[in-house]
Amino acid sequence: MSETTPHALTDTTSLDLKDWRLEVDVEKIAWATFDRENESANALGRRPIEEFGRIIDFVEKAGSEGAVVGLALLSGKPKSFIVGADINEFAFLDTEAKVLDGVQPVNALLDRVEAMTVPVVAAIHGPCVGGGLELILACHYRVGTRDEKTKLGFPEVKLGIFPGFNGTARSIRQCGAVPAMQAMLTGSMIRASKARAQGFLDRLVDNPGQLRWAARKAILRKSKSKKAGGFKGLMAQWPARGFLASKMRSETAKKVREAHYPAPFRLIDLFEKHGGSYAAMKAQEPKAFAPLMVSETSRNLRRVFFLSEALKNEAPKGLNWKPLRVHVIGAGTMGADIAGWCVASGMEVTLQDLSPEQIETGIKAQGKLFKKRFKTKPLQAAAKARLIPDPEGTGLARADVVIEAIVEKLEIKQALFKDIETKLKLGAVMASNTSSLQIEDIAEPLNDPGRLIGIHFFNPVAQMPLVEIVRGGQSRDSEVEKGAAFVNAIGKYPLIVKSVPGFLVNRVLAPYMMGAMGRVDAGEDKEKIDEAARAFGMPMGPIELADTVGLDVCANVGQILGLQNAVEGAGRLVEGGKLGKKTGEGFYVWKDGKPVKTAEKPFAKRELETLGRELVEPLIGEAQKVLDEGVVRDADLVDAGVIFGTGFAPFRGGPLHFKSTEAEGGPPSSTSSPQTTQSAQAAE
Amino acid sequence: MSTLRRVAIVGGVRTPFCRSGTLYADLSNLDMMSTALQGLVDRFELNGTHIDEVVGGAVVSHAKDWNLAREALLRTRLSPSTPGITLTQACGTSLQAALGIAAKIATGQIDSGIATGSDTTSDPPIVFTKKFAQRLATLTKQKTMMDKLRVFKGFSPGELAPQPPATAEPQTGLGMGQHCELMAKAWDVGRQEQDQLAFESHRKAAAAYAEGFLDDLLVPCAGVFKDNNLREDIRIEKLAELKTAFDKSEAGTLTAANSTPLTDGAGAVLLCSEDWARERGLKVQAYLAHGQHVGNDFVAGEGLLMAPTLAVAKLLKRSGLTFADFDYFEIHEAFAAQVLATLKAWEDDAYCRERLGWDGALGPIDRTKMNVKGSSIAFGHPFAATGARILGGLSKLIDANGGGRGLISVCTAGGMGVAAILEGAEAA
Repeated sequence: MSETTPHALTDTTSLDLKDWRLEVDVEKIAWATFDRENESANALGRRPIEEFGRIIDFVEKAGSEGAVVGLALLSGKPKSFIVGADINEFAFLDTEAKVLDGVQPVNALLDRVEAMTVPVVAAIHGPCVGGGLELILACHYRVGTRDEKTKLGFPEVKLGIFPGFNGTARSIRQCGAVPAMQAMLTGSMIRASKARAQGFLDRLVDNPGQLRWAARKAILRKSKSKKAGGFKGLMAQWPARGFLASKMRSETAKKVREAHYPAPFRLIDLFEKHGGSYAAMKAQEPKAFAPLMVSETSRNLRRVFFLSEALKNEAPKGLNWKPLRVHVIGAGTMGADIAGWCVASGMEVTLQDLSPEQIETGIKAQGKLFKKRFKTKPLQAAAKARLIPDPEGTGLARADVVIEAIVEKLEIKQALFKDIETKLKLGAVMASNTSSLQIEDIAEPLNDPGRLIGIHFFNPVAQMPLVEIVRGGQSRDSEVEKGAAFVNAIGKYPLIVKSVPGFLVNRVLAPYMMGAMGRVDAGEDKEKIDEAARAFGMPMGPIELADTVGLDVCANVGQILGLQNAVEGAGRLVEGGKLGKKTGEGFYVWKDGKPVKTAEKPFAKRELETLGRELVEPLIGEAQKVLDEGVVRDADLVDAGVIFGTGFAPFRGGPLHFKSTEAEGGPPSSTSSPQTTQSAQAAE
Repeated sequence: MSTLRRVAIVGGVRTPFCRSGTLYADLSNLDMMSTALQGLVDRFELNGTHIDEVVGGAVVSHAKDWNLAREALLRTRLSPSTPGITLTQACGTSLQAALGIAAKIATGQIDSGIATGSDTTSDPPIVFTKKFAQRLATLTKQKTMMDKLRVFKGFSPGELAPQPPATAEPQTGLGMGQHCELMAKAWDVGRQEQDQLAFESHRKAAAAYAEGFLDDLLVPCAGVFKDNNLREDIRIEKLAELKTAFDKSEAGTLTAANSTPLTDGAGAVLLCSEDWARERGLKVQAYLAHGQHVGNDFVAGEGLLMAPTLAVAKLLKRSGLTFADFDYFEIHEAFAAQVLATLKAWEDDAYCRERLGWDGALGPIDRTKMNVKGSSIAFGHPFAATGARILGGLSKLIDANGGGRGLISVCTAGGMGVAAILEGAEAA
């Protein structure tokens, strides 16, 4: 590392830093390395911010005395820069006044960074998001690595808020209104090269080793980032701003309802009113931010974030096992899509089926996913090469994970696993994607029944974030753990469930959907039912969902759960070959992949509210039963599974949480504290 | 120096190899070599470890990569105290790197080393003509504007024509394929036997893949898991239909299929003393027992790629071994014709007596022991990486076999041959 000088002023020990290191080198450059104590990543919590304040005190003084010529910010974590504000601490900010008191000193600190007379340069490798991005926007110059790990973004909207450390004002000033607002409204991550093009970063280097030297150069040259000017700058002024605001409003409304997710709409309001003035935007941001921060929506979305972390923790840390090769047996829609998803996650997959044509069709169907996932021709071609048709099953012996997705017939599955169990590599995971059979039954004839687990994917695989890991009564823990680790490795959330009919997701969905279909039988308006569910916050109404899943599939799930014949209307449709979206007609007539609905029916808001609540009641009731029967470990995991498996209104925090807050007649005074010892982060 | 130490090979990895301009089109030698090195670090848990030296290089190299080996290792998690040496000996580069490391380990100068090599023709260094380059060099020394302008006196646009790297032999002006075509004629190597050898190379390599032999030898790179030159579905009839590639007349026998294509990729092998391996709990796969390299007089008309005949003869003489003492032969397949000409030369009494100084033919080698897991015609041949590929593969083979002895023979551009002997623990 750098040579430190013995000069008195550069003695930084008196700063008493725990989460940062500060050294001043022979060229009088101060290097501040963010490296949170006992944490694997850097979150901007209270202590690191206070320590950063002392660093700024020091550099201000040393700078004015000529003892320091510049400040460089680095991360001591090899894989990430700053992963955002410390969400664990948000829970304490439960009144608007506390929020305002909380952000004010941080904003004042960032103003001092910006006003520093010596250059302040951030050198970024790995994700830099949320509060981290706000911090570096206050610096004078930003260098980043041209690495796929380096990503910038404002994920705040996903927590029901928007940037609150004056990031709204700074990002618009730095990058112009369009890219900045887009980043804040969508919460999506920005790759380094794009961040450079948009102005979030000023310079890119090839690898982390070069960062330090690029930062040094920027400091010695007093490089200043160029703010958005010209046309880009004009976009924040009238009349462009008004036009942009209304355009953003309509685009956002297409994705979320203002009643459920107010944050993006409040951000657009703020931009529309004050986006033309940096000072006004800065001053007004906290006032718009504070109410969001204390809202129940934000509290629940934070809860959802912690739930997602809990799901990731279903796989034990430090498992020395890295799946690289997957063998999928059965090239139907599920099998092929599972194979495609694993390939898109960087693995090599052999896809086996009795029918070579089926394999070919299944592989072809993945083309779109690869095109979306991989931006360059060589990477797309490499993905294609990783998805290997394997009618003979030669990949079986080399695979780290084998997933069966063939016809749901017990004898056939038993025979298959009996046949393959001796051919698998030692330590390879052996799993069935069954949704209707018992893992114990399938494992029954095996030499080593303990090896078999269920890995239950949902359709469509690419869109559904949750995967159920089914622990049969006979399944060994080590296999279940590996199954969960595999699901983490393909970027999905694993949920370990007991082997009961319907597992968790189908089990809670079925009574909800059957209930809704029963209402249609009883003569209620299906469109009203769907609209009521959406008004409650479901991503899709239950009738439309039934049509999308396929009424035959619904009937099948109903049968597994012993709910057959519960819905006559649906039964008649199935008999008539009207299976829903896939046949062009079910409850709805489907055109161009969309159900035909009558134009805008004026349903009364109150009516919808009542109906929506009634509709989800069976789901909530079943969720409670699932908890009582110990299908998953605890209530939080029930909520997590239902939210990520069914899309259950995330802003309501999950069915059990919703029920308990409702019973209390309002939001709880504090959310259940996160169980993670790891610091929680805003970044995904 | 009292006694020489045994040189252990812990194992090797390589990136999958890809035909140039395909899946690695966006990568550089630096990218691929550091990927291979990091793959080795991951496989043998060398994070933060100091290695006494990393030696290797690339044949087609940019001037800015003037110490490629050091630059590449700096991009891995090896300790930065690990020094790097860049050398090349064309297609013998990484094997030669291993021989140098081995000599230092044997004498106790170092305890550990990594031999590495990378090549890409997807990222070729294109340079200006010498004349224009000289002008630019002079330009930087000029002070006034007039002086600077004067540098361009007599400039002609032709000077700007880019100069791609030449693949031809500098002395003869002939490409490798043209030289090998001459060897095929001199040794009467027919088209059919070349095609047969190429066919077998693909079949054996495909079988090696299918049985998982290559799984721990390969480190995925840029999303690639598998060599993309390999054809599992190869058919001998199809090979026979191909047009010749170098001599388009009736007399030509070399085709694109029985020659190696231009290939991108990298490889690395970990060598060390037995103590060093033991201290780290690393299993020794094989020992590097002997090495030899030598050149021939191709400029005066000898076969350009016939030098391995000389290197192997010297190696056998020195080790006191004969072909019968070997369980495996790794004869690098630059061209099928080159392998076959080499084999014929070893079986030729007159050649072995006159050229190799033996009493008679070195003898035939048991073809069932040759390139048993496939070789360069199937995998492809990123020049500097091939030695590392062979070392890693043969070590694993010897280890999996529970011992044995293997002979490596690699021909190189510039009329040189590099050879080595690997042995299991008990053979020494």
